[in-house]
Amino acid sequence: MFAIEAKDVRKSYKGGWAPALDGFSFSVNRNQISGLLGPNGAGKTTTINILCGLVKPDSGSVKIFGKDCANEITAVRNTIGVAPQQIALFGNLTGIENLRYIGRLYGLNDATINTRAQKLLERLDLSKHADKRINAYSGGMKRRANIIASLLHEPELLILDEPTAGVDVQSRALILSFLEEYRQLGKTILYTSHLMDEAQQICDEVTIIDEGKFVVSGKPADLVRDTPDCKKLEDVFLHYTGHAVRD
Amino acid sequence: MKKIIATIIKEWLLMKRDVAGLLLLLIMPATLIVVMALVQDAPFRDYQNIKFDLLIADNDHGSLARQVIEGLKSSKNFNVADSIDGQPVTEAQLKALLQKGDRQIGVVIPAGITANMVNSANIAVNTISGKMGMEAHLPTGPVREQMYVHVLFDPVSKPAFRTAISSALDKYVTASCSGMLMQRLSALSKNGNDTTPPNDLAKIMQGTGVKEEPLNHDSNTIMLHINSVQHNVPAWAIFGMFFIVIPIAGNMIREREDGSAIRIALIPNATQYTGPGKIIFYTMICSLQFMLMLCVGRWVMPLLHLPALYPGQYPWLLLPVSLCIGFAATAYGYFTGTIFKTINQALPFGSVSVVILSAIGGIWVPVEILPHTMQRIALLSPLHWSLEAVNEVILRNDNGQAVLRPLLLLLATGIVLWAVSIVADKRRSYSVQ
Repeated sequence: MFAIEAKDVRKSYKGGWAPALDGFSFSVNRNQISGLLGPNGAGKTTTINILCGLVKPDSGSVKIFGKDCANEITAVRNTIGVAPQQIALFGNLTGIENLRYIGRLYGLNDATINTRAQKLLERLDLSKHADKRINAYSGGMKRRANIIASLLHEPELLILDEPTAGVDVQSRALILSFLEEYRQLGKTILYTSHLMDEAQQICDEVTIIDEGKFVVSGKPADLVRDTPDCKKLEDVFLHYTGHAVRD
Repeated sequence: MKKIIATIIKEWLLMKRDVAGLLLLLIMPATLIVVMALVQDAPFRDYQNIKFDLLIADNDHGSLARQVIEGLKSSKNFNVADSIDGQPVTEAQLKALLQKGDRQIGVVIPAGITANMVNSANIAVNTISGKMGMEAHLPTGPVREQMYVHVLFDPVSKPAFRTAISSALDKYVTASCSGMLMQRLSALSKNGNDTTPPNDLAKIMQGTGVKEEPLNHDSNTIMLHINSVQHNVPAWAIFGMFFIVIPIAGNMIREREDGSAIRIALIPNATQYTGPGKIIFYTMICSLQFMLMLCVGRWVMPLLHLPALYPGQYPWLLLPVSLCIGFAATAYGYFTGTIFKTINQALPFGSVSVVILSAIGGIWVPVEILPHTMQRIALLSPLHWSLEAVNEVILRNDNGQAVLRPLLLLLATGIVLWAVSIVADKRRSYSVQ
């Protein structure tokens, strides 16, 4: 069974000039880091919204660990953790207060929340800032706190939307090494990014999407090897999506 | 329940860190009720309790004028002055002072009014005695058709003020006239076969007229007249409670804008608990705010020489009343925070709508003095139901029966607004970006 399996997914928005997803299909194997890559407006965010149950597809099916994202959303949400690109935390609460609140909403008891929060805060180098308000965090600290908040309930699948956007080199390295560690725990990670070098570095497999359609999928090294005149993943990306600037 | 409590704790943490918001919730209504109670103290007082400066130009110098002036001087309503710098006030002086606004009320007693009154009384006595077969021949002259004591006001005086003062003055003039008539009838009875002692004849008319009676003769019932504190404390406390729309709507829209609402949306079934948590928390805050305002009315107002708020015979009823008002106010804030997308839309709507609902709901002035159409419109305002519920407790000493109707209306409004908000929120498209 795939961790994620999307088949012929279509989604159009009212007033949109083209379908956001136009028969898009892709799958993600368990226990791997998979990259979902595409230019602006390609359909990455719509795909993640459908995976999270925030948006219902017009047609097609999307399953996470065999559970339908449209009809079994509670079960699906219990197995996924999502770190949106936007910092989805309460700015006027401290790091630990955010984690306690989120943990309680997941139904965890305080002892479990404290144990897991301490472990994650330490691993992502935030333990000494746990009592500071999120608004006082730097960009990199906010990103790390955002990831911790999506991991408290120990999801099987972690979905990250540009987790390293706008962070410094040190924070980026810390986040990427942590993701690798998390994968080694037997978890699956779906990751979107515009940073091709980063995707090439950490992803076991990538899927390129453009104009709502599946373009190509495979291991980064295989894609580079099999695509003419390509030396790195960025070349592959440009080969398939073109050089035209997107709106 | 743990998830609801977690939300209440989170809301409390957010609120206590928002000092400006806390000040808005507690200090603003407290200041408002104190200021409004002070400003509206005089208009709310019975005119009997206030002394007005009254200037008299006496062009008559007769007994009627003397009786009117003495009556006014002995009254507790007026500070009467009939001279300035030792000189009698002239009509021209009086009008000039009123025109400038230096005085509010002036009375001009026209020359000859006593003679005219005596003449009228004599004609009346002669006519009555003639019809009764007793010949009385009091001296009379030709009847003059009109001769009034004139009352003049500062041009900015309110109509209600003019009516009240005119009525009070009319009372003194009428009393003087009837006194004169009774005096003559008494003198006539001395000459007839009437055995009633003459001094008792005037007393016969005593004990007739208008006198206010307590509505409830129960000795335990405290008779209370509406005053500035009894109106303004609950009215502006309710206004302040409905202003909870600002922090709630602001908080909800900020949570959507900063992404924290997405976090909640991604947690399985979390919105089933965060919504009630928010509603319970803000309802409690509203109730606390209301109780605090009542405490200001009870213990701070007397320090400002205003009457203390009387909480009614069943003050415990104010707790459910405040919770129901708080629930309706919170649901209104929740609704505003849900349907509007930006703070720039929600806050003006929230504040202006509360001001409008309060104006038509009798918060600014009692509904009874609004035009008839507005009185009917007032029945649609939740702030009117709120004030009605509080007034049932603190003015009418209701034991819980009459208060039920407005409370049910408030609860129903809150439930409908909350339900609409839930439906609207479900239709809202959340996105991870």
